[in-house]
Amino acid sequence: MFRNNYDNDSVTFSPQGRIFQVEYASEAVKQGSVVVGIVSKTHSVLAAIKRNAEELSSYQKKIITIDSHYGIALAGLASDARVLSNFMKQQSLASRLTYDRAIPLSEITSRIADRAQTNTQQYGRRPYGVGLLIAGVDAKGPHLFEFQPSGVTQEMIACGIGARSQMARTYLERHLDDFAACGREDLIKHALRALKESLSQDKELTVDNTSVGVAGIGENFVHYEGQDIAQWLDATFENREEDDSSSDDAMETDS
Amino acid sequence: MTSIGTGYDLSNSVFSPDGRNFQVEYAVKAVESGGTAIGIRCKDGVVLALEKLITSKLLKPEANKRIATVDRNMGVVSSGLLPDGRHFVSRARDEAASWRQMYKGPIPTSALANRMGSYVQAYTLYSSVRPFGVTAIVGGWDAEVEVPVDGQVGSGPNTGSGGKKDGAKHGGPFLYMIEPSGLYWGYYGAATGKGRQIAKSELEKLNLADGELSLEEGVKEAARIIYVAHDDNKDKEFELEMTWISSLTGPTKGRHEEVPKELREEAETLAKKSLDDDKMDE
Amino acid sequence: MNHLPQAWGRPRDEVYGAYDHSHFQNAGPNQHTQQPIVTGTSVIAAKFKDGVVIAADNLASYGSLARFTDVKRLRKFNSEVVVGFGGDVSDMQYLDRLLNSLDIRENYSSTDTPLNAKNLHTYLAKVMYKRRSDFNPLWNHLLIAGLDGESKPFLASADLLGTTFSAPTLATGFGAHLAQPILRRTLPDEASVANVNKEDAVKLIKECMKVLFYRDARSLDKYSIAIITKEGVELKENEKLENQSWAFAETIRGYGTQVN
Repeated sequence: MFRNNYDNDSVTFSPQGRIFQVEYASEAVKQGSVVVGIVSKTHSVLAAIKRNAEELSSYQKKIITIDSHYGIALAGLASDARVLSNFMKQQSLASRLTYDRAIPLSEITSRIADRAQTNTQQYGRRPYGVGLLIAGVDAKGPHLFEFQPSGVTQEMIACGIGARSQMARTYLERHLDDFAACGREDLIKHALRALKESLSQDKELTVDNTSVGVAGIGENFVHYEGQDIAQWLDATFENREEDDSSSDDAMETDS
Repeated sequence: MTSIGTGYDLSNSVFSPDGRNFQVEYAVKAVESGGTAIGIRCKDGVVLALEKLITSKLLKPEANKRIATVDRNMGVVSSGLLPDGRHFVSRARDEAASWRQMYKGPIPTSALANRMGSYVQAYTLYSSVRPFGVTAIVGGWDAEVEVPVDGQVGSGPNTGSGGKKDGAKHGGPFLYMIEPSGLYWGYYGAATGKGRQIAKSELEKLNLADGELSLEEGVKEAARIIYVAHDDNKDKEFELEMTWISSLTGPTKGRHEEVPKELREEAETLAKKSLDDDKMDE
Repeated sequence: MNHLPQAWGRPRDEVYGAYDHSHFQNAGPNQHTQQPIVTGTSVIAAKFKDGVVIAADNLASYGSLARFTDVKRLRKFNSEVVVGFGGDVSDMQYLDRLLNSLDIRENYSSTDTPLNAKNLHTYLAKVMYKRRSDFNPLWNHLLIAGLDGESKPFLASADLLGTTFSAPTLATGFGAHLAQPILRRTLPDEASVANVNKEDAVKLIKECMKVLFYRDARSLDKYSIAIITKEGVELKENEKLENQSWAFAETIRGYGTQVN
């Protein structure tokens, strides 16, 4: 049987110039449940599906508030995300302490990117097995960044990562031009709809398995769960059976 | 001799019987698949340009800048693995800062290229690391006049520092390219990434060694070359990113800055037009 | 004769007694800076409705000697912050290089917002406090003048002890005694800032610089002045006191050699 000799560690290039260990780490992200993020001119939104190990267990946390102005959503190894989020919290506090400034999102993103890159160039380490969406508001307005295990980070208008996230991305691409002008409520609805696209047919978004994070200009990052998101789920999906135009109207009026 | 299956290509810092380090060669492969990056050394400045391939529609347009500032007067553009490029830049910034700590002034471009060459080379020496998957182009403007040392508060005696020859030329534009092996050369025009072959042949046509090309012309040529080197059929869409560094009297006052949007768009329009003209000729 | 090679050729213990190693040690704890060496005197500043005016003279004294007369003690950080330095000049140069490296780091990205005066004051206060806690203070009294996050006038100080203070008018060194009372006549409180325009503020500061030159023996009639507003920093480093004259000194009685 063919044996790939170039995939044992992250310090070996394949003859094509690829690093398989890093590519495998990206697969771990695809094992995680889906998370979605969108930005408008005024707001930045995260939405995530939470999984529970069994019926009676609690749900895995998917959205973490880092500082009052931003938070992250994760897909992949949650324990790796915790390491990164602790680092982000520490860096964010350091910025507030030394400069009395909320750390710019581009800055914190590149700091974790640099950390992740180190893990792909030194023996005895492994790449992080988690993808992150970093969303919030800084002095330059709302932002959304995507972080990958390879250390690649990109600023996005909208993004979805995790299991079956291609469906969410397709939805996001289709509505890409609408996002900029969206208000808070509309943006959340778009995020929930994108999330729903990635769900298998027999599943529904519920107050138990859905998590939402929102930040806006002059508005701190808030993480919503449980009954706090019931109204959004109701408002977003009540007219599912009806045609699209009527649901669009409903969306316009209650925002 | 082929590399695959010999076992000599499985670890960094191992020579094959014919004296090659295959891991470095594989790293070069990673560079060859990256977007085209070029640098042009003009008579009154340096231009850096990059073909930034758009991997997703969801990316925020005009964000995600890839040409980095290392010190006020110096920039780096690279092709290859993005995170490795960031690592390179981060080290270059540290080198520039530590030079300032020691010498109270900006690092000369040649010294930065030298230090980064050494750093990159060190990543070919050990089995515990892998080589850099980037080729980086470093452009800088070394001050042509005597600049105050960092922290200087007064003017001191007006005779200036000694040891200077009358009429000797100081500073000017400089351009270097550093490869994954740690090898580096100074260039008049440098190109790396996917479209490097086409870009190189276009750069050669400019007769840069004559030192006649002005910075403004260089900007337009850089844009045109990136457009020529871009393969419409095979590649995705791209954004053109350009930065420049002029003399102290020029448009950027010796600083590394983004080319202003209007100028870049003008250069892009000209580039597209010249491409269309070429197509008509065919 | 000793059989140890390292003792050959040295004074013999049995003749001269054991070597007194205490000459190599300095008794007592480690000591760092105990006093400034080359110093700058007062820095004064006042807010007005659109910004801040700050001034300091161009003298660096070596004790009572007027050692350097072209020293620029106002340093522009960026288009909305100026830092004024009183105290040790070499420590000021160290801080200037520190701010320079900070500025370079801040400008790696052209898209991020620059540090404002409030950010810089927080940072410098941290630096000063850290150094005093190491018992190795930077012997300066700083005024940070500029605009805060809301583009409103900002003025605050940080000193060698790490103490911070903020007021509509501030002055370091002798200025705290001589200029501050004059400044407070026009700007007694935060509310009064809105009633003062740029011209009034500049006139007030210039008047104080004159009083300081008359009364402070470590001062100079050449000075730097900076005005920070939304339009940017207007920094003049070669100003000369206007309408300044020692003629009145002739009329002073009771000192010196004159009779009656």
